[in-house]
Amino acid sequence: MTGPSPSLDAAAAPEGLGARLRERFAHAAAESTAAAALLVLFVVLSFASPHFLTADNLFNIGSQTAVIAIIAAAQTLVIITKGIDLSVGSVAALSGVIAAITVRDLGFDVWTATAVAIAVGAAAGALNGLLVAAARLPPFIATLGTMSVGRGLVFIATGAVGVYSLPESFQLIGNGEIAGIPFAILVTALVAVATGAMLSRTRFGQHVYAMGSNLEAARRAGIPVRRNLLQVYVLAGALVGLGGMIAASRVNSGQPNYGIGLELDVIAAAVIGGASLFGGQGRIAGTLIGAFLIALVRNGSVLLGIDIHFQQVIVGLIIWVAVYFDQYRRRRIEARG
Amino acid sequence: MSTTRRWATALLAAAAMTTASACVEVRDGSDGEGATNPDGPLTIAVAPKAVGHEFWTTVQAGAECAAQLAGDVTVEWDGVAAETDVEGQVNLIQNFVTTQVDGIVYAATDSAALAPATQAALDAGIPVAMIDSGTDPQPDEVPLYATDNRAGAVEAANLLADALGEGEHDVALIEFQPGSQTNTERVEGFTEGLASHANLTLVGQQPSHSDVNEARRVTEDLLTANPDLDGIFAANEPSVLGAVQAIEAAGRTGQITVIGWDASPDEIQGLRDGQIAALVVQNPFNMGYLGVANMVEHLREGTPMEPADTGVTFLTPENLDTEEAQAVLEPGCDNPPVDR
Repeated sequence: MTGPSPSLDAAAAPEGLGARLRERFAHAAAESTAAAALLVLFVVLSFASPHFLTADNLFNIGSQTAVIAIIAAAQTLVIITKGIDLSVGSVAALSGVIAAITVRDLGFDVWTATAVAIAVGAAAGALNGLLVAAARLPPFIATLGTMSVGRGLVFIATGAVGVYSLPESFQLIGNGEIAGIPFAILVTALVAVATGAMLSRTRFGQHVYAMGSNLEAARRAGIPVRRNLLQVYVLAGALVGLGGMIAASRVNSGQPNYGIGLELDVIAAAVIGGASLFGGQGRIAGTLIGAFLIALVRNGSVLLGIDIHFQQVIVGLIIWVAVYFDQYRRRRIEARG
Repeated sequence: MSTTRRWATALLAAAAMTTASACVEVRDGSDGEGATNPDGPLTIAVAPKAVGHEFWTTVQAGAECAAQLAGDVTVEWDGVAAETDVEGQVNLIQNFVTTQVDGIVYAATDSAALAPATQAALDAGIPVAMIDSGTDPQPDEVPLYATDNRAGAVEAANLLADALGEGEHDVALIEFQPGSQTNTERVEGFTEGLASHANLTLVGQQPSHSDVNEARRVTEDLLTANPDLDGIFAANEPSVLGAVQAIEAAGRTGQITVIGWDASPDEIQGLRDGQIAALVVQNPFNMGYLGVANMVEHLREGTPMEPADTGVTFLTPENLDTEEAQAVLEPGCDNPPVDR
């Protein structure tokens, strides 16, 4: 076990380094608050439970968090554009059950089914994107409609019964391992790195932030805002489809009731990680930290035998504290500048 | 309540004005039930706690079977998407009253919150029968057709004790929806049953919120926290499926005895594969069947509806293929698993 102190210092370090990189520092502010909380919780749990710091448990946490982390990354992309996607739970369920149906009834293999799930998610994302970018509906309303339509389609597709009797191979993406590391964790890492790099290293990523900060200014600067918005929603939808596939694969069945309330978990992860619902701010790394923070609270509660109902209170407190510190530090940075 | 009735009246008045043909009779709560033409076609609204589970789809099959056998009865099947959507169900019942169905058969998502909705229906002259989960208070004229959950869960504890045998054993409980009546009865029944087996210790209790993924997660964490765990009682279908997945993933199938509840296809497969030792199986077909059959008889002949226990069956790998078990597992209207 490594000692806690060096990492704690590291979490506090950005305080002194931020002078020149104000913009970046503002992003890092909430992240470092959440990261510090994550680290503290990790250390506390390591001492409080003998079972916490074991490879099995850590892999469990990673796999348990995979779906939420991937879908929260999708949500972050949308939130940066000053949007919100309420349809993620329904779309994840739809992708999962349709993937399961293609395997059960059409004999597709797990990889084709995964592609189908991603395509279903992307199609739902395209619908959201068109409603927002072309029909000019507010994202909240557009995705509220998709949330309802999606859940309805899930019930229509399944006859309101779970899709069972799938071959064992269906579990590969949710339960499989490569070199002893759960596949779901590797997929999550890949998604995080790819979307993070897209946001921070590409012109498209810069445009997304610019659009979220000031859509009109972005338009005048010649950014193709409508096309970009559509692309963001399609990409987010595809990730939600992937998440839905992993969720279905983990339980080897297509569950029509999967993901009810999931949108709140992923919005919480993004917000704890520093994404701003006012747009223009948010990073995938922060969202991952938020997702793992929520996951650690849940894992720790079971390990320590804490009443389930306290978990929700704790998550709520974390949202308040993380966002409060985020805003407090942003204000201080702006005052200094 | 009077607001609801005023709305109902207003809607009916509007309907009367637009159609301007039929003589619309506004029912008055005071003259009670039996306002319907006993020989005419009947529409009976049937509402599950939530659509989307095998269990409720079987209830629907039972309800439709009873309607088919009675003749000239239409079942209007409608439900909310999530068991937690209590308010949505209150609205649903109000809508049934507004549309003036002949009778309402439903399962309450919340025993206290739905009591006024039941009363409002009765006030509007629409008889109500409860299935699976009743209300508190439950009016005398409203029967409940349900499983005796407590007795079933006591037996689940006994089955777990039998399967584990002599010696000290740690066991855990996966409940589903803390606060719901059915959940409370199963939890209390199981703990009551455990009390008579001193060698069993309950070391963990976690809810799945009827979500397979969540059941899997909490079971994984329970297995981590309790390396000596020997047995699990999972109290409904999603809880069982998630628990089995977690045990399988941890490579501990066969080391941990699972007693489950309900009988979805994957649970039956788990029983055959040795992942599950026994299943407590309710008779949802009978709930839908008795609810609608007794409602029709009440509407047509005025017979008071009497509550009834719809019964449970204990499935083990040994009795799985018997005729009695199969009638409960694959209920159909050709050979319904009911006493007619």
